[in-house]
Order: sequence, then C-alpha cells, then structure tokens
Amino acid sequence: MNIVVCVKYVPDATADRSFDSSDSTVDREGVDGLLSELDEYAVEQALLAAEDGDGEVTVLTVGPADAADAVRKALQMGADKGVHVEDDDIAGSDAVATSLILAKALGTLEYDLVFFGMSSTDGTMGVVPTMVAERLGLPAVTYGSEITVDGSTVTVRRDGDVATETITATAPAVVSVTDQSGEPRYPSFKGIMAAKKKPVEDLTLSDLGIDASEVGLGAAWTKVLSFAPRPPRSAGEIVTDEGDGGTKLAEFLASKKFV
Amino acid sequence: MSTAFAESEERRDLRKAVAELGRKYGRDYFNAAYREGRKTTELWEEAGKLGYLGVAVPEEYGGGGGEIGDLAAVCEELAAAGCPLLLMVVSPAIVGTIIAQYGTDEQKQRWLPGLADGTSTFAFSITEPDAGSNSHKITTTAYRQEDGGWRLSGGKTFISGVDEASQVLVVARTEDHKTGNLKPALFLVPTDAPGFTWQEIPMGIVSPEKQFTLFFDDVVLPSDALIGSEDAGIEQLFAGLNPERIMAASFATGTARLALELATEYAKTRQVWKAPIGAHQAVAHPLAQTHIEIELARLMTQKAAALYAAGDHMGAGEAANMAKYAAGEVVCAAVDRAIQTHGGNGLAEEYGLVQMLAGSRLSRIAPVSREMVLNFVAQFSLGLPKSY
Ligand SMILES: Cc1cc2nc3c(=O)[nH]c(=O)nc-3n(C[C@@H](O)[C@H](O)[C@H](O)COP(=O)(O)OP(=O)(O)OC[C@H]3O[C@@H](n4cnc5c(N)ncnc54)[C@H](O)[C@@H]3O)c2cc1C
Ligand SMILES: Cc1cc2nc3c(=O)[nH]c(=O)nc-3n(C[C@H](O)[C@H](O)[C@H](O)COP(=O)(O)OP(=O)(O)OC[C@H]3O[C@@H](n4cnc5c(N)ncnc54)[C@H](O)[C@@H]3O)c2cc1C
Repeated sequence: MNIVVCVKYVPDATADRSFDSSDSTVDREGVDGLLSELDEYAVEQALLAAEDGDGEVTVLTVGPADAADAVRKALQMGADKGVHVEDDDIAGSDAVATSLILAKALGTLEYDLVFFGMSSTDGTMGVVPTMVAERLGLPAVTYGSEITVDGSTVTVRRDGDVATETITATAPAVVSVTDQSGEPRYPSFKGIMAAKKKPVEDLTLSDLGIDASEVGLGAAWTKVLSFAPRPPRSAGEIVTDEGDGGTKLAEFLASKKFV
Repeated sequence: MSTAFAESEERRDLRKAVAELGRKYGRDYFNAAYREGRKTTELWEEAGKLGYLGVAVPEEYGGGGGEIGDLAAVCEELAAAGCPLLLMVVSPAIVGTIIAQYGTDEQKQRWLPGLADGTSTFAFSITEPDAGSNSHKITTTAYRQEDGGWRLSGGKTFISGVDEASQVLVVARTEDHKTGNLKPALFLVPTDAPGFTWQEIPMGIVSPEKQFTLFFDDVVLPSDALIGSEDAGIEQLFAGLNPERIMAASFATGTARLALELATEYAKTRQVWKAPIGAHQAVAHPLAQTHIEIELARLMTQKAAALYAAGDHMGAGEAANMAKYAAGEVVCAAVDRAIQTHGGNGLAEEYGLVQMLAGSRLSRIAPVSREMVLNFVAQFSLGLPKSY
C-alpha cells in the first residue's frame, strides 16, 4: 500500500499572523512557519496504515522554499520520501490552483491512497481534498475520525452532527482525516537523524506541465479586496448586583439581540 | 575555528520536538506531581521512548549516537517548558558517559540499553556530609573480599533521585587508598542491596525529584560492581564532570528562559498607569539584561559541548565551568527579576514563579558551587595562587 500525504506549510497559528499589504495575501515572511498541525493527523494515519505493509509513505507539499521544513517534519515522523513543488509563479494560488498542482504532482507518483488533513490552519477552507479527488476522478472519503485500511479498501468513520457514518472506498482513493483520529507522534531522535538522509524531490511548474497563467494570484477565482486587523477587545461591562442583577443581565442580552 | 555560531539543523529540530513534548506536560503537570507526591514518570517514559533521554548513548547500545550537546538541548527545552529534570543531569549524562567510556563490554551491554530508552535510572553520589565541596575528604570505603567482590561502608548526602533509581553510582575509595588525595573507585550499587538504606532530606525545592542521605552498612557487592578499572578512577570521574556541568548549565538556562518568558508576557499586559508596565525602563531593562545573560550562558554552554564533542577535554572543562557559573547566576537573576516584575503576583502560587525560587538557587550550589568554579578559574585560567 503506497500512500501519499499532502501537507501544507502554514504560518504558526500561535504567533501574530497578518496579511501582506502589497497583495493582500498571507504574510509568510513575518512569522515562523510549520507543518500545519491538522496535517500531522494525516501523516500519523498514513504511517499507521502503511506500518505493516511494504508500501511507502510519500509526503507532498506545494509551497515556498521554507515549506521544506514541513516535508522534513513529516519525514522525521517516519514518512519515507518527500516531494516539494516550488515555483515563484505559485505564490498567491487559490484552492482551485493548489488542487491542480497537487493533482499533477500526484500524477508523477505511484499511490493507492492519498491522505489529506481536514483543513489547513491558515486558509481553513477544507476543500482541497475533494477538488483533488474530482480532478483525478477518485472517490473521496472525507473527515475520517477513524481510518481502517484492509487490503485495497479503506473505511472511515465520519462523525456528523446528527449521525455517524461508516464509508468504504476502494483504492485508489482520497481520504481526509480529522483531529479526532488519534494524536500524531512526536519525531523521535532517530527519526530526526534519519530524515536528513531521506530523498526529497523538488519539482517546478514546468516539470508538471503546468502553465504559469493557470496558477498564482492572477489566476485566483476570487480576490481579497481589503482587510483590517480584528479590533482589540473592548473592556466588558460589569454589572453590580444590587438586587436587580438578573434584570440588568437580561437587559444587556436584549440590547445585543441575544434574547 | 568553528564556521558558524548556529547549532545544526538536527539539533534545532530536536529542540523543537522536545519543546513540543514539554508543552504537552508543562509546569502544571510538574507542580501537580510535586504537590501530590508523584513522580514525572509519564514524561520520563515518553521522552525515553522517543530516544530523547538516550540521544548521547552510542547507537550500538540502542542510543541515538548523538553528542552531549544534544542531551543538553533536551534538558534545556524540557526545563524551558516547566519540567526541569534533575535526573537527566545525573542518569544519562554523568552515569551514562562514565559507563559508555569506561565500562567493560559486559557492563555496557548490561546498562546502556536501559539508559538509551530511559527504562533504567541511575543516581550518582559523591557528596559526603563531612567532605562537601572538598571531595578529597570523602571516606566511603570499599574493602576487597576474598571472592574478588567488595564490601562497601560509609555514607553520602544530598543524593538526588535514589527513590527512582535502580542503581547508584558511588564514588568511594579502596582500602589501600583510605586517606590522602582522592584516588576514587566507582561502584554501581543496586538500590535494593542488603545493608544499603536511605533517608529523604526534607528540602524546600518544588520538584518531584528528592534528595537523600545514604548509608552503606557493609554492603556486599560482586566484583563487576566496580565500573571500569580500580586505577583509572580519577580519570573516569573527571569524564563525567564535563557532561555534568554542561547539563547543569542547560538545566539552569532552561528555567531562566521560562522565567523571562513569563515576566515578559506579564510586562506586556499588566497595566496600572497609562502604558503597560513593560514600558517603564526600570521594568524593561532588567528583562533585557536577563535575555542577554541567558544568551551568553547558552552560547558558552554550546561552546563547552562543541569542545567536548571535538575531544578537547581541557578546553571543554574551562568552558563548562564558566557556562555552569554563568547559567547559575542568570537563573537566579531571571527568577528574581520575574518575581519583581509580577509584583505581589510574583509570590502568588497561581503565577508559578515563587515555586521556582528555591530551585533557581540550586544552580548556584550544585553540582559544584559558584565559589568552587571561581576558585578553578582563578587558579587554572588566571594562574592565581591556590587558597585552600
Ligand atoms: C488571506 C488569504 C487570501 C486568500 N485568497 C484566496 C482567494 O482570493 N481565492 C481563493 O480561492 N482562495 C484564497 N485563499 C485560500 C488559498 O490560498 C488556500 O490557502 C489554498 O489554496 C489551500 O486552501 P486551504 O488552505 O483552505 O486548504 P484546505 O482545503 O483547508 O486544506 C485541506 C488539506 O489540503 C491539503 N493542502 C492544502 N494546501 C496544500 C498545499 N499547498 N500543499 C499540499 N497540501 C495542501 C492539506 O492536506 C490540507 O489539510 C486565501 C487564503 C488566505 C489565507
Ligand atoms: C538539590 C541538590 C541536589 C544534589 N544532588 C546531588 C547528587 O545527586 N549527587 C551528589 O553527589 N551531590 C548532590 N548534591 C550535593 C552538591 O553537589 C553539594 O551540595 C555541593 O557540591 C556543595 O557542597 P556542600 O553542600 O557540602 O557545601 P560546602 O562544601 O559545605 O560549602 C558551603 C559554602 O562554602 C563555600 N566554599 C566551600 N569551600 C570553599 C573554598 N575552598 N573557597 C570558597 N568557598 C568555599 C561553598 O561555595 C558554599 O558556598 C546536591 C545538592 C543539592 C542542593
């Protein structure tokens, strides 16, 4: 069973994130980046699924030079090799373009299953997995909270608001994984040392036969017109209970149209 | 000359990974373990499984094959996450190094795999009540038995982690060298050996790791309890000292980083006049100074580790002592200034700083006091006359 895990390199969500005022894209220079925490769950599930077979886990990312850090982290966790698509013309790509690049890159790889996170921690759209599946004509079993791979079938448990579904697909298929699927492992010291010897293939748009006009900020289907920092939180209102506390609370909630 | 003042990418990645593990546990876990009389077993075991405790154990024995600088990075990052593990200084660093360098093949086979994955813990004991900083005065003595084994008699004090250890490495004298300048011999004593008892010393330090007074009452040991050779004892002991100091320095700079981080955060958010208190230079400058002093101490620690890895033990000795000194000073200053920055909250349990106070002073006293480091530097670096 060969598995490809798609991982995204994102700005550290615990740092102060902001936008670049020149083109209204995420400022990736000002903050440290890392492997999207939600994608660590996908790496973990891929490693578990591949553990007892003789297949390989390949980690695939589309991103700037520093995105190599995300690939390295996944290799440290135990993935066997990496693929990094990097090209200046990719900057500013939307989900549609990202899915195109990922689909083309997957076309150069051998895989039975393609694992994704449930959503990135920066764009947070959660659409790339299905877009990739659509482009490749593959079944997509998404938001899996429990993933079982048996022979060439993959079964996921999908916890919804009103029901829990069990969905099965036959490889090749796309799988996306939630943060309920099981804690991702920490890289061991041996994993860290071994990662530097694992192969990482660097690809550009021309390697994938993609024309620069199909991707990047210019090709995005939507455009960010303006942005503003979230206003600082204002001090709350303190209600002193002088026997009429309940009434005052109700008045406050009513004034905000909560009741 | 070294080519760059940066740690390798692997070392930096190791720091990141350990810091992540440390955050999973954190100060609350550490302090709760202390309050409830538990040990930090879960953290120790997980760190062991991930190979973080055994980074410096040779690969052939299941370790990571890394350097003392890697182990020091692990210790520093855990301390910076609020989990300072004193036993890391003792077990993998001192005892691990001595066994790996001087143990017989059999001893290495027997002990190193447990050190590599953290499943065995070793205490280290040199300090004696009447000797203290003057190790030449230790009197714990090993008598050779007719069957080639040994009988150990004497006592130690302030020994960390005996209750968690399976063995204690004991620095003793042989009966042929009962007096005079120390000619030590090193013995591994199982903590359940008949005749070996210990008593906890009530300490004011907030840590799940405890200190003990040890009594060896004619403890009978097999011949292979002697680590390495009877005659190379002093060399073996010294082999453990540089790692010990490098680790002690990292233990201290980690805690100093945590104190500074807490103080900085507080200074940015606490506001009692027009601006946050961090806008006052009287608050900001001590924190800036702490940052500088921490970075200097870390740099010297990394230098010591690099010299040690390169095999320059004399150079490493000087650097390791200086690093230990600087780190001990800065952790005291950092905790002190962090408390001052917090005002009354600095002494409130909720803010976690007052719990770090006694522990920060430890780094000035153990494993070697600041005065003894200054003696060393005065005598060996400056060539000043010896005073004692
Ligand atoms: C400020 C800002 C502006 C944006 N502007 C636009 C815009 O104008 N139009 C528009 O359509 N989109 C826009 N986007 C979204 C876009 O850039 C996405 O971040 C990107 O295309 C992927 O979508 P996502 O991050 O939401 O991924 P999701 O769909 O949330 O990701 C799901 C999974 O897909 C995989 N994945 C996602 N990205 C990658 C990658 N690069 N490499 C490998 N695997 C990956 C991961 O496994 C991930 O867990 C904007 C985002 C931001 C933050
Ligand atoms: C929490 C803790 C854990 C410890 N864990 C261990 C352990 O695991 N194993 C172990 O073997 N030991 C351990 N120790 C002991 C520690 O190494 C000693 O406390 C330390 O070496 C100092 O010795 P002492 O306490 O006897 O002080 P003393 O030697 O009595 O010194 C008292 C004071 O006099 C000063 N002084 C002494 N001689 C001189 C001199 N010549 N010139 C100038 N000043 C001098 C010292 O600097 C110090 O300030 C631990 C101690 C503590 C506090």
